[in-house]
This record gives sequence, structure tokens and C-alpha cells, in this order.
Amino acid sequence: MKVELPDHELMHSGHVGCPGCGAAVAMRFLLNGLGEKTVMVIPACCWSIIAGPYPQSTLKVPVLHTAFETGAAVATGIRAALDVRGERDVTVVTWAGDGGTFDIGFQALSGAVERNEDFLYVCYDNEAYMNTGIQRSSSTPYGAWTTTTPGRDWKKMRKKNIVEALAAHRIPYAATASIAYPDDLVAKVKKARSIRGSRFIHIFSSCPTGWRIPSELSIKIARMAVQTNIFPLYEVEGGVRYTINLKPKGYLVKEYFRLQGRFSHLTEEDLDQIQEMVEEDWELLLRKAGTMPSL
Amino acid sequence: MSPPHAPTEYPPILIPRSFTTTEGNKTGSWRFLRPRYDEKTAPCSVACPAGEDIGRIEMLVTQGLFKEAWETILLENPFPGVCGRVCHHPCEAVCNRHDFDEPIAIHVVERFLADMATRYDLRPKLPKLPPRPEKVAVVGAGPSGLAAAYFLTRLGYRCHVFEARNEPGGILRWGIPTYRLPEAVLKNEVVLLEAQGVEILCGKRMEMGFLEALRGEYAAVFLGCGHGRARPLVVPGSQLPGACTDGLQFLESIRLGFSPQLKGTVAVIGGGNTAVDVARSALRLGARPILIYRRRRGDMPAFPEEVEMALEEGVVLHELRTPVHIEPSPSGWSLTLQTMEPVGQPEGLPAEVRPIPGGVERMAVEKIFVAIGGEPADAFFAPPEVGAGTLKLGNCLLAWAGDGPPLVYGGDLTVEIQSVVHAVASGKEGAMALDVLFREGLEAVEPILASCRVGPGPALSMEVFLKGLRCRRNAHVVKYSEINTDHFTFAPRIAPPRLLREERIHGFAEIPLKISANLAMQEAGRCFHCGLCNQCDNCRLFCPEIAIHREETPRGRRIDYDYCKGCGICVVECPRNAMSLEEEEAS
Repeated sequence: MKVELPDHELMHSGHVGCPGCGAAVAMRFLLNGLGEKTVMVIPACCWSIIAGPYPQSTLKVPVLHTAFETGAAVATGIRAALDVRGERDVTVVTWAGDGGTFDIGFQALSGAVERNEDFLYVCYDNEAYMNTGIQRSSSTPYGAWTTTTPGRDWKKMRKKNIVEALAAHRIPYAATASIAYPDDLVAKVKKARSIRGSRFIHIFSSCPTGWRIPSELSIKIARMAVQTNIFPLYEVEGGVRYTINLKPKGYLVKEYFRLQGRFSHLTEEDLDQIQEMVEEDWELLLRKAGTMPSL
Repeated sequence: MSPPHAPTEYPPILIPRSFTTTEGNKTGSWRFLRPRYDEKTAPCSVACPAGEDIGRIEMLVTQGLFKEAWETILLENPFPGVCGRVCHHPCEAVCNRHDFDEPIAIHVVERFLADMATRYDLRPKLPKLPPRPEKVAVVGAGPSGLAAAYFLTRLGYRCHVFEARNEPGGILRWGIPTYRLPEAVLKNEVVLLEAQGVEILCGKRMEMGFLEALRGEYAAVFLGCGHGRARPLVVPGSQLPGACTDGLQFLESIRLGFSPQLKGTVAVIGGGNTAVDVARSALRLGARPILIYRRRRGDMPAFPEEVEMALEEGVVLHELRTPVHIEPSPSGWSLTLQTMEPVGQPEGLPAEVRPIPGGVERMAVEKIFVAIGGEPADAFFAPPEVGAGTLKLGNCLLAWAGDGPPLVYGGDLTVEIQSVVHAVASGKEGAMALDVLFREGLEAVEPILASCRVGPGPALSMEVFLKGLRCRRNAHVVKYSEINTDHFTFAPRIAPPRLLREERIHGFAEIPLKISANLAMQEAGRCFHCGLCNQCDNCRLFCPEIAIHREETPRGRRIDYDYCKGCGICVVECPRNAMSLEEEEAS
């Protein structure tokens, strides 16, 4: 499926995201897949700002800005209210950053999906608390510099695998997607929209400001994350049925790391170690999926 | 207490609600880099001596716009059917796709387009200027003369082409065997040329003093007479009657319909395309040809593909040998050869060779063909020395003497490399030069021609000369490193079907077979379209600002600088470098 771009989108120009913002691109693709019958919940994250200062809104769908930890809980409530009014054709979507998903919003998210509440939770992942000044989150990858993992104290813990955590709840649908693969991303949004129950999409969204990358390489770097197997594109249905959507070219991870200022301190040995970690994760995923796409 | 059936009163919602959009934020003011659409030059179009807009041709084929693609060729070259077959396609050697997988089979697509136009009997719609008062005479209806007449006619001039033989085409008609160029292909393209208004007068041999006759009636004369006579082999015995057969005459006799039966071993002396054609023709007529060349295979001026096919068909190549003596023998002729060795390889030139002392071989042959180059049939066809009263251009020479009309020497006598497409380039250059000369004077010729170069040149574009859309192209030639290959997948180059070796050697049928429209579109679809926008929409798709909009113009896209923050994603994600990012000018 090829993305069809309408002349009139559900998002206005003039938002206040940084130049080259991956999360802005991600929102465009999300709305492309969802359509206007959507209610959006945005807990504290970059997008709380990007959507515009009061009284502006950059989105043409209703948005409820909420507290950091409440993304899933508010969506649950809106869904219940819409059900009372009989508005079954409206999709409730929580749009949260990695902080609001992996860390601060995790208990609400885990609770809601355990009850299989009927909403779509989308995490646009820029791998740190970018809006507040690049503090590390549990999504920040191994090896990264942030303002709270500076200098030699670069992050030495692995990135939390959020899709696996959600899949462990046996929800109907969990998937990864990337702003560099719009066709795949939009197809997943449409698929998720057609499913009832808790759905989760994890979108890799590059951040030129926090990653210390040139803004023009924003998409290119997101694409390399997929092609190096650092961020594979796959789906998990019912918590058990794995499908890998794209066969990567298998670039070496150092080609991805070298382009980013946040990894500039890493030595060859560090990169070799990261390469091993990535291969280990990839093989684990292959075992779960059973087959590779012949693409 | 409220009555039992009164409606429930909800408290008012006390949360703030947005009531306006972000469109009031003119985020374009953040920008310090400015993206813009900036179409550039593809390397293939620079390498094409005729300056064909190849990237665009392939794009139109991909879109199924075959007639438009064919017309795009005709803007720069009247002979797509001929060049799709016999051109050595220098365009493919520089194709950026070469660094990715394999170059585009440009000549196969070109041939397909010409065949398609013939099959549907298409008539091209080409820009034609209003009539001009001057008349131009063209001497010689070979590729350069016909091209000159074609372009001059399109520029509004009335042209008469004088051809000595009874049919037009020159080397294309008489010197290239039909297995490479079937007669109908040439005829079709000559008919189209005549439909443009070119008048070809056959059987008009120009004699010494013809300029006197032409003066007064014609404002200029284009001389594209080519090599009407073969250069003879001069070794002891070569002058004996029947010892040497001129290769070009042999090819001509076949094209005239005489097909002599040959037998036994024949020697073909030379290393150019004519020598290879003679050897392959002799093979088809029953002989065992041996090509004798004084340097190595890699030094042969013949196109490598032709040499390879000749060897595949059974022609034997004896390299590093030169004839020194010919004498009659009972079974034909005894040819004495001197073996040679290479002594050095000057940059960009064929190897230098010297005789190996005592290295002498003898061979008995039935016949000896000589194809070691040609010279003008009459001395007065040869261009004068470059000096006062002449202007040397890339592929032709402008000369004027006394009060006579200006003369343009073109074709094989003045081109950089002797090939059909260089002859076309020479005719085009001559036509442009004369037009400028008539309209603006001699001083303007060089600067105006320089402004019509494709990229850095030397190829010239008639579309640019006529101020077409191609004028807007940036002269920068797109490099492979500037292509975003993330947006392409590997795909093998088309292997066009052709006659099997066994089918080839028994006749003069054309070797490559026709391909389907589907295959042509597939092959053209592999093209990167370097530097050209094919409306792929990547710029719009990945814009974080929704600042790129569709519009109904030839460009199809518009950047809204009110909101564009200058992140540069569109420029990087453009697969083919049709955009540029520049520093914003201080306001």
C-alpha cells in the first residue's frame, strides 16, 4: 500500500516543533491513517508544546492535554463516555512520548491494557525527555549521551523493550513503526484502527535537537535504525503471533552511531559490543517470528 | 430540594479550550537555510554527443508517455531508430546506476521508442520557427547533412540536400550491414525528416566549382561529404590487380543486392567498425574471416560490443600483426605478416607498437579486404586549415572566402570521433552556428553556442537554443554520491532478446529482437532520473511542516516559505537531487 497524501491534512502548519522534528512527521502519518473520527489524548511530552500554546491547536481533531502519568487512564474514560453516547465509530488515541509511556505513564498503561480497554496507544519514541532538556529515560539506548548521563557516565543500561512488555499483556495488537517507512506506518495505523481492544504502536521518531544530528538527516537516520536492525519493523498479534515486516539491508550499527553527536564518545570496542547486543536482539526476534520476510 | 423530575444540572466545564489554529505562527522566520526545486543535469545527457535529454526520456517512458518520450529525442536527434541500433551509447558508460547495480540499457529504450513510432505511424509535434528568407544548401545526405538540414528546417530555413547517389543515407545506407541497421528503419526516419520540410535531391553529384553555381541562390552551404574513398593499403604487392578489395565497397555491394559467395579463409585488415562489419559480412557469405590488426584488441577503434559479437560468431582476431607483403599463390594470395609488440601506452591513446625483429608469419588466403579508414572522395570536400577566415567549433568548421557564402564543414571530416551520433552533433552545431550567423553575426556564434551546452558540454541542446523548459536546468552534473539510493532497489539490467548465433551467421537479419512496452517501461523505471523531478512526492511526504503543496504548474509543487523552517529533509529525501538547500539571504 502506498500512502495517499490528501491536499488538506488534519494538521495545520505553524506548529512549534524544532526544524526536522521526527515526531511532527509521525503525527502527520498517524492522522493520515486515522482520519477525522478521532479523539486524541496527549499527556505531557514534546507534543504538549508542538500542538501550540493556548489558545492555539495545530490539530484538526479534538485533543485533550492531560497530566504526564494519565495517558491511558484518560483514554479509558473518554472511551467509556463515547460508549455511553453510542459513538462507536470514534477512535480514542493516546499520543505520548517515551517518558510518558516507558516511565511515568507505564502503570496506567499497563493497567488499562491488562483490562483490554478499547483504545489505541501510540508512543512516538525520541529516546529521552527531549522537551524538558534531554534527560535520559528508560527508552534511551545503551551508549547514549544525555544531560543526565553526561561525559563518561553515558548510559550503560539497555533500552527497555516496550513492545515486548505490551505483548506480554497479550493485547490484540502491538507493533513498531518508523517515520522513514510511511507506507508501513500508515498500514499499521489503519490495521490498528480496525481492531477492538488495546492496541499499541511504537513509532521511532528522530530528534535532531536531542540526538545532536543535522535536521536534514532526521528521516535518513530513522531509516538507518531499521536497516541496522536496531529498530526492526514488526507486529505482534494477540501477544504471540510475530510478523517481521521488512527485511533490513543489515548495515553495521556503527554507520548509524557515527552520524549522531549523542554517540560521539563511543570507542570502536563499545561499538563492537553494541553490534553484538543488536545481533542478539535480532536473533531473538527471528526466533519468535519463526520466519523472515522474503522481501 | 429540586423536584424529582428536573434535569440534572452539570457544572460548567472549567477547562480552557483552544479556539484558533497555529497558522498565525509564521515559522518560516526561523529559517536560515532555504530549500528550493533545482533541476540539475544528468551525466548521460552530457555524454550523449547529441545532448539528448535522456533522464527525461526515461521518465516519460516510465509514465507510459511513449510519444512524448519519442518527441523528446527528436528535439535533439532526428535518428532515434538509427542511433538506438548503431550508436556506441557513451551515455551508458557514465550512467550513475552503474555504481549501484548496472547501467540503464538506454539504447534499448531508444530503439523501442523509434519502433513504436513506426508501428503506430506517429507524426511528431515539434516546435518550428517562422520561415526565414535565407536558403541553405547541404551537400551529402549522410547523417551529418541530414541532421543539419533537419535542424535548419526547424529553425525556419529552406534546405536543399544534394546527394550524389540515388538514395539518401550515406554510410547508414551503404556502409552498415542490415543485421545492424535494417533498411526500413533508415527509410522511416528519412520520411519523417522530409515531412518536416527537408528537400532531398538525389543523383546530384557536386563537381569542382559547384560553389559558383550555388552562390546567389543559397545563403550558406553545409558540406557533410564524409569519406567517399577508402584509404589504400600500400605494401609490396598490394597494387597487383585483384589483390586487395576495398572493405567499404564490399559492404556497399552487399547493400546493393549483390551477395557474392565466398569460401575459404579471407583476411580483413583493419580494426575499426568497418573492418568488423566486413569480417562479419564475409562470415555470413560463407568465408572464414581473420581480422588482422596491428595493435591489441583493447586498442581497436571498433565498438567493443561489435568485436565481441564478431568473435562469438566465429571471426578470428589476429592482433599485433601488420601486413608487409602480398604475392599471388595457387589458391589465392599469400600474405606476409610482421608481428608487433606494444612498447608503451600514451595516456588516452592506443598502444604504441613496434615490429618484433624476425617475427614474420605467412598465411594463405582466398581474398584480402582492406578497411583502414577513408578520405574525402574529392580534394575540395576537405576542410581548409584552421586559420584566418575559419572558425573551429566542436564538431564542425565554419569557413568563408571572399564574397562567397559561408561554408560549414561537418560530418566525418571534422568530428572528434567518427560515429553516427557525432555526425548528428556536427549537423546540429552547424545549423545553430548558421542561424546565429544570419541573425546576430559572427561574433555571437561562439558565446551563444556556449550558452546552449548540456551541463559543461561539449554536447549542445536544440531545446535550450529554442529557449525551451530545459533552459532552467542547473549545469551541475549529478554524481552518484548525490543520489539517495535508499529509495531504490536492486534490479538487473534488461538482457534484450536476440537471434542465436546459429540464426545470425546464415543471413543478414537484424540481431536484436523487439521488446515489449512492458519491458521498456521496466527498464526505464530503473533510471534514477538524475537531477530531474518525477513528481515522486517524497519532499511533500516527509515535510514536518506541511509546507509543501501540490499545484497545477509544470513543476507540480510549491514550498510555502511562510512555514518552511529550512530543516532540509526534503532536499535529502529527494531521491534524485532535484532540490538544493542554500543559505537564506539576510533580509
